[in-house]
Amino acid sequence: MITVPPNHASAEADGIDASARCPLGLLTAFALLWLVVGGALALLSLLQLHSPGLLADCAWLTYGRLQAVQETVFIYGWAINAGLAAALWLLVRLGGDGLRGANYVILGGVFWNLALVLGLVGIAAGYTTSHPMLQIPRYVQPLMLVAYAAMAVPGVLAWTGRRTVQTYATQWYAVAALFLLPWFFSATQVMLTFLPMRGTLQMVVATWYAQNLISLWLAPVALASAYYLVPKITGRVLPGYDFAIYGFWALLAFGTWMGGRHLIGGPVPAWIATVGIVSSILVLFHHIILFVNLRGVFRPDGSTVLIFVAIGILAYLLSGMVDAIFATHVLAMVTQFTYFQQAQQQLTLGAFSMILFGVLYYMVPRLAGATWPSVALIRAHFLSVLIGFVLLVTSLGMAGWVQGRDLNNAAVTFATIASHTRPWLQLAVVAQALMLLGNLLLAVHCCWLLCARFAPAALSRTAAREVVVS
Amino acid sequence: MSSPSPVDPRVEKTALTDEGLISVHDNVAAGKSDAGGHYRMLPLVLLFVFSGLIIFAVTYLNRYSGHFRGNIFDERQLPSNGPVVVAKADPLVLGKKQYGLACVTCHMPNGLGLPGIYPPLAGSEWVAGSDERLIRIVLHGLKGPVTVKGIVYGTAAMPAFGQVPGSGYNWSDEKIAAVLTYIRQEWGNTAAPISTERVAELRAKAGSRKEWVEAELRQLP
Ligand code: HEC
Repeated sequence: MITVPPNHASAEADGIDASARCPLGLLTAFALLWLVVGGALALLSLLQLHSPGLLADCAWLTYGRLQAVQETVFIYGWAINAGLAAALWLLVRLGGDGLRGANYVILGGVFWNLALVLGLVGIAAGYTTSHPMLQIPRYVQPLMLVAYAAMAVPGVLAWTGRRTVQTYATQWYAVAALFLLPWFFSATQVMLTFLPMRGTLQMVVATWYAQNLISLWLAPVALASAYYLVPKITGRVLPGYDFAIYGFWALLAFGTWMGGRHLIGGPVPAWIATVGIVSSILVLFHHIILFVNLRGVFRPDGSTVLIFVAIGILAYLLSGMVDAIFATHVLAMVTQFTYFQQAQQQLTLGAFSMILFGVLYYMVPRLAGATWPSVALIRAHFLSVLIGFVLLVTSLGMAGWVQGRDLNNAAVTFATIASHTRPWLQLAVVAQALMLLGNLLLAVHCCWLLCARFAPAALSRTAAREVVVS
Repeated sequence: MSSPSPVDPRVEKTALTDEGLISVHDNVAAGKSDAGGHYRMLPLVLLFVFSGLIIFAVTYLNRYSGHFRGNIFDERQLPSNGPVVVAKADPLVLGKKQYGLACVTCHMPNGLGLPGIYPPLAGSEWVAGSDERLIRIVLHGLKGPVTVKGIVYGTAAMPAFGQVPGSGYNWSDEKIAAVLTYIRQEWGNTAAPISTERVAELRAKAGSRKEWVEAELRQLP
């Protein structure tokens, strides 16, 4: 039997964690719910890709809408709920004071998720905006903005009211993410939804938004978590930490310009695509510094949290490289408009999810004041999402490469292309199913933890709980 | 797991307090660390890498930015500052197309016209003969009796095709030259091609006028 020495988990910051318990627990619960729903929808839409007849006569669930719904659920349901929970918790922890303004989070969280449901119904009913990553219909967009602002309030309070004057990389990244989303979200709403710009400019704004969502929100939140967890668990000072600040600014400065690379060959002035390509290369500076700082994560010493984070960081570095290399004209001509882009996107989003899983495994026991009930479930979740993730990215990548090569060859018919990509898509279905299974396990595990901790009639008021709280 | 202190994944250990985390790293950032000098070369390496990236980026931008102009859509095909080069169409191809667009309705696909109304172009002495007369006929049109291959026509008129006042067609000189080159080489005709410059020259010379009549044309070379 493994003994957990006291003072390890929540004893360190009991009061702080208790103050964050309700609001952040709520966000985490929403996030896990959407994660599972999103996984199921993703599986369904992948199935439709290679058996197009599936649900084809149910307008609400046809491929186009399902794909949009699934993407929205993943980003606005899973990523933003979980990311906010993590970012707020990190800021509150490092601020050294309890979470202030918990009601804002609860209110904002409820309205955010309510708006999301409304938006999803809208998309399924055919009112999508058709801008990638911003498919939610116009009528819920302002509501989401306000709800987000409410949820971010405690983060800002924790930052301005922090106990120490000195700051740490985690705080920069988390605060940047909190502040930047309202900026680019509202700017995009004005330019696309309420005073829509004309013609191709809409496309430019939409790609700018989608890139910002990744570079200025998902990435900073994930990196804030990684910068916190690595030294926290290994106990070692980050090597070359004095450069972390340059890595931070490099991401903010170059990341926002990268979107243009998706417009190569499109009906926009050539410089927009070129600036996008150049930025994807310059942002590699950020990746290099990140690697220097965080390479300790690749010696996780058996820590599950760090293994999750390590895989996430690896995927993040890899996606940075792939983005830079495949942005160049020659390769983009093959991979553009193919499954390869989906593979790239899955790699980036997967990197985020992996790191966030790491945070959840670290944060949830502390928030709840109880240990995870089962080691086996953690292992099972880890294995299935890891295998699923690797399989999904490679299979989509291969499908895209085959497809892109064939598309550029006028002699190959569409039917042949479809038959060439089919085996890879079948593999992707398997991968998606594995990930769904894994995430289902995570959700179940979370419920179990909550029952063991809070249900009055819990079978055993686990020994673990007493150990932790003591 | 064989490490001396087994890791329990159910609750991860913590090796550093939050205050400790902030303060040790703040020390590093303030330059107080690195006693062992492990990272002395790092600033240099990073500077080097960053300069490399910047140089690459600037070169790339310089070459492919399309001068940041809003009207350049393909960064590999910049407009040159030299004379504008326009691809030349094959006159026979263009001529055949133009013939099919207009002349064919009267002079027929086989170039034989309609007996008694529209004169033939195949084997016509007007087509094979003086280029000046031929060009003028098509530029400004032809009216009144005209003798072609020994037969007199005169019930209908030949419309003006050139960019001249009163023309319903307004074909460019290039199109006129092309269609004439075409009819001079089709249906067994074997006369020399007609150049755009020659058409332009004659159009400028004739100025504004009505259809020609046979007698006028006969006085021309
Ligand atoms: C509306 C019917 C019509 C069209 C269209 C037409 N022509 Fe004619 N063309 C005539 C007629 C009628 C004459 C004879 C005029 C006359 O009787 O004075 C004629 C005469 C000519 C002649 C001189 C006589 C001959 O047969 O050699 C030439 C050359 C000629 N046309 C060329 C063309 C060409 C080239 C086109 C097309 C660009 C063309 N025509 C289009 C009706 C037409």
